[in-house]
Amino acid sequence: MLQVKSVIKQFSNGDNKVLAVNNITLTVKQGQFASIIGKSGSGKSTLLALLGALDRPSKGRILVDDKDITKLSDSELVKYRCQKIGFVFQAYNLVPNLTALENVMLPMEFSKVKKSERKKRAQELLKQVGLDDKKQHRKPSNLSGGEQQRVAIARALANKPSVILADEPTGNLDSQTGKMIFDLLHGLAKSEKTTIIVVTHDLSIAGRTDITFTLSDGKLIEKK
Amino acid sequence: MNFVTRGVRNAFRNSIRTLSIVLILGLSIGLSLVMFISHQAVQAKIDSVKSSIGNIITVSPAGARGLEGGGEPLTVDQANQIKSITHVTTVTETLQDRLTTTDTNLQSSIAAGSLGRRFNGGGAGTQPTSSRTPQNFTPPIFEVGTNSLNGSILNGGGQISLSSGQNIDTGSDSNQAMLGKDLATKNNLSVGSTFTAYGATLTVAGIFDSGNSFSNNVVVMSLPALQRLSGQTSNLSSIIVQADSITNVQSVVSEIQSKLGASADVTSQQDSSTQALAPLENIKSITMISLIGSIIAGSVIIFLAMLMIVRERRREIGVLKAIGSTSRKIVAQFMVEAVTLTLLASLVGVAIGVLGSAPVTKVLVDNSVANSTQSTNNSPTPGTRPAAGFRGAGQNISRSINNVKVSVGWKVLLYGFVAAIIIAVLGSAIPAWLIAKVRPAEVMRSE
Repeated sequence: MLQVKSVIKQFSNGDNKVLAVNNITLTVKQGQFASIIGKSGSGKSTLLALLGALDRPSKGRILVDDKDITKLSDSELVKYRCQKIGFVFQAYNLVPNLTALENVMLPMEFSKVKKSERKKRAQELLKQVGLDDKKQHRKPSNLSGGEQQRVAIARALANKPSVILADEPTGNLDSQTGKMIFDLLHGLAKSEKTTIIVVTHDLSIAGRTDITFTLSDGKLIEKK
Repeated sequence: MNFVTRGVRNAFRNSIRTLSIVLILGLSIGLSLVMFISHQAVQAKIDSVKSSIGNIITVSPAGARGLEGGGEPLTVDQANQIKSITHVTTVTETLQDRLTTTDTNLQSSIAAGSLGRRFNGGGAGTQPTSSRTPQNFTPPIFEVGTNSLNGSILNGGGQISLSSGQNIDTGSDSNQAMLGKDLATKNNLSVGSTFTAYGATLTVAGIFDSGNSFSNNVVVMSLPALQRLSGQTSNLSSIIVQADSITNVQSVVSEIQSKLGASADVTSQQDSSTQALAPLENIKSITMISLIGSIIAGSVIIFLAMLMIVRERRREIGVLKAIGSTSRKIVAQFMVEAVTLTLLASLVGVAIGVLGSAPVTKVLVDNSVANSTQSTNNSPTPGTRPAAGFRGAGQNISRSINNVKVSVGWKVLLYGFVAAIIIAVLGSAIPAWLIAKVRPAEVMRSE
């Protein structure tokens, strides 16, 4: 379970102080597929960064499996990101000079999984997301956008995280491929019982998730 | 795959950039290596020159050098005082004299020529009819009495190298003599022949070749024999002292000066070698400055290259952090990349160093020595002349310093690679710090 309690994130821009996330409280249950929607600058990505321990909130608490991640030390945060969180980015963000297989193996190297196990699991995951053996040994530049995002999803799943955070995962894809990626994430949420939180502009995607949070000016204005 | 493999692979990510960095950095490392090798070669030459000639001290009567000048002669007692000084290993005593045609039946092997007529100041050889145009002057024959045949006992330089016969016993007072080969030839003398000097008959025990005409016109006798025959009992013309090490030369010189006071002039070969080695010392400074400069240039090159790479891969660094990598691991990965680039560059650098060190050193030495010689010739100091015994030594040093041998051993190459790694680590230190400062959240915001 993921609980966000009265979280505030404030940035200073010279003399101006901007509240990117303003007193948000929400809960996402284990295995739920949630979406966060809102206009640009509404604080969606900032909230996602806070959930993924990429940044610390100015105030408030974030509990993941009843553990307050805002109180973790820097080294504990690295461990948390490595073992509990999987990220999927709009621009895929695969390491360009590594093959698809090596990209998926990377998070497992950071969590000190044995090399033979890394390879085996990476192959399984890539197969699961629909990438055949031949394409597994291609570099990202030799894969289509949809295939790259599949690799990114496989990478996010590598360490069996409790939560997958996806920032506009279909933003760079055509509608058909975007739908396939959404279905993949949806299916994983059900089969792996992984909590998935997706930030999106696409209302058709948001409408198909278990729960949708709408942000405006850093505030949570609606929950469906 | 681990961070080392990734670092190495990243070094080849952009082949054009890799080639450019490797070539530019290679030039810098090559220059460092050339300067290092030159510096080592010049240092070795300086050490070699200093260790070979630098520990000799010559004591002359105050105001006299050889048979020139004036003043009172040194004495055997003074030589004995020097022997008691710490760090003195050998003391060679010599007495020099000139034989005129009235003292000997020998004829000089050196023709007077215009120089001889000009140099003759009277008191030796046949007296000139005029001080400026002495037509019938013949040069004198020099005679050296010594207690040792080793060392620089010949005024004209060179060593006694026996051609025939045997060496004289320098400790015994007998009428035995050694003749320079030109003098023996001129007078048709061979081993066992006799000649007269100071009214006594002397036997030729040996004939030597010193390697130069001046010294081959010399008669060498034992010190006691020459002192007796020339009526200069207990007198000495010079004392040649050898110190046990170059580092003790100055202390021995001071000790001799304090023991003999104003009665003696004490000079060491360090004086002449210091002057002769000045060009090499200059090259040493130049190469050291260039070495430091090229190491800094190399560090700046790798620094700028790594800075560019880090800025370019800022998002990738953020992603690596987001998926669980520690900053330390990412820094290590970039360090490996920097070291890989630098090691590749050092291969180019080593090639440049091996091929370029000898010609660059030669050009530096030749130019520096030529400038130094020109400068000396252009600015003579009136009234000053180096000690006669050291004139030759100084010239020999000047001639030999051109011959700096450059050697590239495995140690030099090892130093080159170690320097390359230091350059890589220094150059990537700030980029590494920047990597540590990259926050994954910033990368998300820039999406």
